[in-house]
Amino acid sequence: MNIISLENISKTFGSHLAVNNLTLTVPKGSIYGFIGPNGSGKTTTIRMIMNILYPDNGKVRIFGKEQTGSRLDQVGYLPEERGLYKKMKVKKLIQFYGELKNVVNPGNVADEWLKKFDLTPWANKKVEALSKGMSQKVQFIITVINRPGVVILDEPFSGLDPVNADIIKEEILKLQDEGSTIIFSTHDMAVAEMMCDYIFMINKGEKVLDGTLQSIKDQFGKDTIKIQLNGSKHVLKDIPNIDKVNDFGQVQEIRMLPDSDPQEILSAIISKTKVTKFEITSPSLNDIFIRIARPEKNQNHE
Amino acid sequence: MSKAFIIAKREYAAAVRTKGFLISLILLPLFMGGGLVVFSLMKDKIDISEKKIAVIDHTGIFSEQLVTAAENHNQNNIKNEEGEKIAPAYSFEIIKADTTNPHQQKLELSRRVRAKEIHAFMQIGSDVVHPTYGEENSNIYYYAENSALDNVRRWVNNIINGKIREARILELNLDKEQVQDLFYWVNVEGMGLLSIDSKTGQVKDAKKTNELETIMVPYILILLMFMMLMMSAIPLLSAVMEEKSERIAEVLLGSVTPTQFMVGKILGSVGVSLTTSVIYIAGAIFTLQSMDFGNLIPYDVLPWFFIFMFLNIIMVGSLMAALGSACNDSKDVQAIQFPAMLPIIVPLIVMMPIILNPLSSFATGMSLFPVWTPMLMVLRQATSVTIPVWQLYVGLLGVLLFTAFSVWAGARIFRSAIIMQGKRPKIGTLLRYIFKG
Repeated sequence: MNIISLENISKTFGSHLAVNNLTLTVPKGSIYGFIGPNGSGKTTTIRMIMNILYPDNGKVRIFGKEQTGSRLDQVGYLPEERGLYKKMKVKKLIQFYGELKNVVNPGNVADEWLKKFDLTPWANKKVEALSKGMSQKVQFIITVINRPGVVILDEPFSGLDPVNADIIKEEILKLQDEGSTIIFSTHDMAVAEMMCDYIFMINKGEKVLDGTLQSIKDQFGKDTIKIQLNGSKHVLKDIPNIDKVNDFGQVQEIRMLPDSDPQEILSAIISKTKVTKFEITSPSLNDIFIRIARPEKNQNHE
Repeated sequence: MSKAFIIAKREYAAAVRTKGFLISLILLPLFMGGGLVVFSLMKDKIDISEKKIAVIDHTGIFSEQLVTAAENHNQNNIKNEEGEKIAPAYSFEIIKADTTNPHQQKLELSRRVRAKEIHAFMQIGSDVVHPTYGEENSNIYYYAENSALDNVRRWVNNIINGKIREARILELNLDKEQVQDLFYWVNVEGMGLLSIDSKTGQVKDAKKTNELETIMVPYILILLMFMMLMMSAIPLLSAVMEEKSERIAEVLLGSVTPTQFMVGKILGSVGVSLTTSVIYIAGAIFTLQSMDFGNLIPYDVLPWFFIFMFLNIIMVGSLMAALGSACNDSKDVQAIQFPAMLPIIVPLIVMMPIILNPLSSFATGMSLFPVWTPMLMVLRQATSVTIPVWQLYVGLLGVLLFTAFSVWAGARIFRSAIIMQGKRPKIGTLLRYIFKG
């Protein structure tokens, strides 16, 4: 069953086409990752799902019905740029959003969440006294305080240290276990790869990828070699049939030219240096992202 | 709409619990009443030192009379019942006129005034009893450092004119008693109109009108409504802009619709202004009644005051919130604030002509224009004239319709503008938001 469906939605700002004829369905209980370069239309799409922006054309359905204000209670939304009332006390603020989301007994629920996120000592402090990480946690709490059926998170991990990012990640997974459907946008391809059941990529307002991670990788085939060398990696420059080398320092990712034989490439490398690791694989999500977002620059060997 | 109330509750609490609110609650009446307080304090601090005036009397008849009048004054008027001195004593020094060098004489007297030996000096022309217009000898001159505002001059003016009249009448061989009758001034008392008491059915006698009541009561009511707008509706402009620029708005829009958000903020402001005005009006009623000025309170106008204030704040507040949602920073707010406030200031500008002539077609027309109806209709009602009842209801209908339009248009602008960052508010864009959404 699809919880969210976007049918041919478009949005223009002046002469700029932000989202073009986008169709997308989000199955119930899934984690859907929205990826795309800056300014590609992710936030506009999310705002249209939230009914904060109205599409110029097309329909947005949540829970099978067209989006109206009354369904907001079943949707938790964490915008990309988020602010809190600085002068309010932390618990009062969470309570306030709890009331807006029709939470029964919002005071107690606020206490539970504060405890879960180690924020109990800050309950009666003003929001302005919180660190950035703590504010992010409070923002996450107010998004999911009523354990909504749909949670939409625009860049939920930006600015978080690994410990706090891990806490948020665990909560997202717990919400999924409880049956919530999660949409989140991210620039961290590793997180998207590890957490998302489905990936949707938008570029210049157009849908360029949509599906499970595996189905996306299958589109690109096994054209990638992960290699670890014992000598200089500069030898890779002169090897034939290599389209691009992505250098991670300890490991290099080689993209082969179409119809190349990896064994020939391996032999050519071994003839010049010692190879400690060699793996034929699909491209990483990161590589796929870069291939789509910067196609013109990928022609050169790096 | 319960979400709008939750937002209103937060707005109200956030506004009322600040020190700024308490301070302005106290300071506002202090500033408004400050002039009166200073006046009443200063009233008792008048100069009560003895005032000596030199008189060059070319008639030779008035100087003695002035001395006698001063003695009377000193005996009867300078002390209150408790024996405290409340007014200065006067004395006169009669000086023989120097006919050979009058300027030198007056120069010397001026020196004495500057040296504080005397308070002033005066010159009574020889022909003041039977004056000829424009003749030097037909004038009385009073020379002092601040002669225009000098109380002694005013006193002397009354005394000497009384004496001049007496002198003229004596020449007609009339009795002094008859003279008193001759100058008895019968004032034309201003009265209101008679009416029938709706409760008892009895005829209510007309009330004596006075300038204080006729001007001060409408003045205070209109000023109070203006202050309430300034305290609650106008700040919405910057408050909404701040929530937008601090990115609080989009977080809230995850939980409420833009209209609920805007209506909540306006209702919060209405709550703040109702609280404040109830406190002020209750305070004013209590004070006036304890000072036995209860009859000044326009009880029949107060319900209308609250109805119109309530609608006025919603009307102006929704426009301010909409404009605030279109601003990105305080510069935008500054640029837009003054033009946005102009319509609210207009009633203050036309206030006096309307108080003086509340039934004129100008007053009627202005008070039926919805933006100005709340302030100007209350202003007209608070004067002593009776406003035709149809005008009140037509005015109210106009305000209701315009308020509904403001909320609708405001919500449409708000909805479109609140998440648009970096776009400067332009009239064309705002109109497009209203008509195209």
